[in-house]
Amino acid sequence: MDAVQFEDFSYHYPKTGTGLDQVTLSIPVGSFTVLAGANGSGKTTLCMAMTGLVPHFFGGSMSGQVRVAGQVTTDRPVSDIAAGVGFVMEDYESQLVALTVFDEVAFALENTAVPAAMIRIQVAEALAAVGLTGLEERELSALSGGQKQRLAVASVLASQPKILVLDEPTSALDPEGSEELYSLLAQLNKEKGITVIVADHDLAQALPHADRMVVMEAGRVAFTGTLDEVFDRMLTEQVYDSAVPALRRLKAALETETRKFSPWTSADEAVAEINASLPPMRRLSLSA
Amino acid sequence: MKSLAPLCNLLLTIAVSVWTVLIWDPASLAAMLAVQIALLAYAGQLRKLLKGLFGLLMVAAFFSVIQLPFDVAVPIAVASGLKMMVMTVAVLLMLGTTRLPSLTAALVSQVKIPYEYAFMFTSALRFMPDFIAESHAVREAQICRGYVQSRNPLKRIVAYAALVEPMVLRAITRSETMAMSLELRGFGGARRTFTQQIAFAGRDYLVLALIAVITAAVIRYR
Amino acid sequence: MLEIQQVSFAYPGHAPVLKNVSLSIQAGEFIGLAGRNGSGKTTLTRLMVGLGKPASGQVMLDGKPAKDGGPAVMARSVGYVFQNPDRQIFRDTVASEVAYGPEQMDWSDDERQAAVDDALAMTGLIEVAQAYPRGLARSFRQRIAIASALALKPRLLILDEPTSGQDAEEKKQLMQLLGKLNRQGIGVILVTHDMEMLLEHTRRTVVLHQGEKVYDGPTQELFADPAHDVGVWGLRVPDVAAIAAKFTKITGAVRSVEELAASINQQLGGKTDEKPGASV
Repeated sequence: MDAVQFEDFSYHYPKTGTGLDQVTLSIPVGSFTVLAGANGSGKTTLCMAMTGLVPHFFGGSMSGQVRVAGQVTTDRPVSDIAAGVGFVMEDYESQLVALTVFDEVAFALENTAVPAAMIRIQVAEALAAVGLTGLEERELSALSGGQKQRLAVASVLASQPKILVLDEPTSALDPEGSEELYSLLAQLNKEKGITVIVADHDLAQALPHADRMVVMEAGRVAFTGTLDEVFDRMLTEQVYDSAVPALRRLKAALETETRKFSPWTSADEAVAEINASLPPMRRLSLSA
Repeated sequence: MKSLAPLCNLLLTIAVSVWTVLIWDPASLAAMLAVQIALLAYAGQLRKLLKGLFGLLMVAAFFSVIQLPFDVAVPIAVASGLKMMVMTVAVLLMLGTTRLPSLTAALVSQVKIPYEYAFMFTSALRFMPDFIAESHAVREAQICRGYVQSRNPLKRIVAYAALVEPMVLRAITRSETMAMSLELRGFGGARRTFTQQIAFAGRDYLVLALIAVITAAVIRYR
Repeated sequence: MLEIQQVSFAYPGHAPVLKNVSLSIQAGEFIGLAGRNGSGKTTLTRLMVGLGKPASGQVMLDGKPAKDGGPAVMARSVGYVFQNPDRQIFRDTVASEVAYGPEQMDWSDDERQAAVDDALAMTGLIEVAQAYPRGLARSFRQRIAIASALALKPRLLILDEPTSGQDAEEKKQLMQLLGKLNRQGIGVILVTHDMEMLLEHTRRTVVLHQGEKVYDGPTQELFADPAHDVGVWGLRVPDVAAIAAKFTKITGAVRSVEELAASINQQLGGKTDEKPGASV
């Protein structure tokens, strides 16, 4: 089953003429996908096509189609698609429109005439999921950057979407903030079965959490697959290879025809394997 | 006032303003002001607003004094200053005791103002702090490039381009993101839920009755 | 050239943001400034350019109190590149945008023109000098902001999170640019969350934690010495440094994946040819 399916989808913005070309891509239900690529390669457009903003909001020309949860996006209004696909935009601060935390999270539900009692329950759940319980009455201007980010996530979680799309969510966060956000997403992915799609430049952050990766290049899908497959191809075909995390670049630089390493996810794993392949007299006695 | 329905609070504020327009007796106005300040203290808002109130008092005093050279009688000049005070404090009192979202909810579902207009009002308030922060940031960025405020007013206006243009352009991109956000979240749908408690209770009707009586009395005995 | 002397700072009614921070910056250094969001990094760099006044202590520029000049004068010595270039770009062409700063100075027309030309050349913007700045990619707008600061001929450049929102290739190019400027004698202070970038490009790192300076020394030592609990400061040891720390006898001090790979390969043997990816 695919959560999102692009079928030979091409799209061009009306003003600039840039966009996507012949994208065919399947994102499986329950996967955690990281979306990589240079600026201008089409990551944001791809995100917007999953939420229906492309083409509904921007106009422009398109061919092919996008299916979200089996349904073609052009057949439904954006708000309808968005109830199933939560979208946290790059400029998430401007995405927030209400005065208080509660009102922000309740906003989409209120707009779609969900009964008030139900709204209270869903808002409470969404705030609990992102760890903002207790701040319901707090004004948005009194929140930190990281809190605003989590609020943006809560505001889309309130509609109980099956898919969560985040466009460069960590660019304003410090390393801890990024790690917390990724842990939160991983938790939503595992515990609630939400399909998560994150566009990001820092792939090292995504490495421990994501299980699939898509690399965009000039409006097309360059690679798609598991992280290991895609990193290998990025390095061997030298496509956007500078973005490959340090551990994987090191692995590639040390491997030969006869010497292979397993896909490291931590420095410790790397140290252990490298040590084992060193000449015995050079080997370290690695104690814990 | 916190326990009153938001619409009742709004009506009360309007009524107070009407009374202030009608009453010219400085003693009565001063009494009203005293009651308001007591209410502010009761609502726990006084400390926060103390500085602002003092400034307001200065403005009102100034307003009263500048009328004197124009042959305005002293009590009338004092009264007009007091009127200004009372009306402003009435609005402060309302804003201090009513949650804005509740007020919008009331305006939309009880006064039947279209939700889009009410939303425009709250979103203006939502973006005000961001806008102020943004203007500081732009100003500092330009100061670091040598921007100095000139004494010459004409040069000053020209120099403002360095501050205004980045802000306008930012506001445009920002409004586009917001428009997308609204579209994603089903803004402008036919039906809408309000989670706020806005219904009238017994005490609200009591206050309304009181407003009617006082208004009648003010008209009759002014 | 820049001396921060026991500086404290607090916003009215809030806990202090900086507590008794002292820092001495020599001409031509390449310094990283790290710490959590809210640790006081931005407040410190703002004070360095005269935006805001310390509650106590002072900032000295070339031995004179910086407050004498104010930020517009400071800008001639210390350039500040803000995180978001869109907060300052307002003119119709790249060249006129960069010329804004020099126009505010009491320079001759020739001096101004020369300053703009130099700044555009240093940042590789000559080809787009007549382009509309807002129509260019973010990485270009970032360069325009750098050029705008350079046009005032500062000796020190402070950059606040210059790589946020930039892709890997753009980051690399930006760091190459900063390296080049540094080799020309311009000091660089890089405020960043990117630990790999700190390791690879800065010689010295200053770490702020809850408004206090908790580390000021060689960047490699910051990560290599297990006595530094960088996690407490909200930092992360880059994988390259973590691996190098274990194999330190083999590798010595390394700063990048390439250096680490080269030294380990020497020990592993059987790897003489260049493999794709190793050249990065």
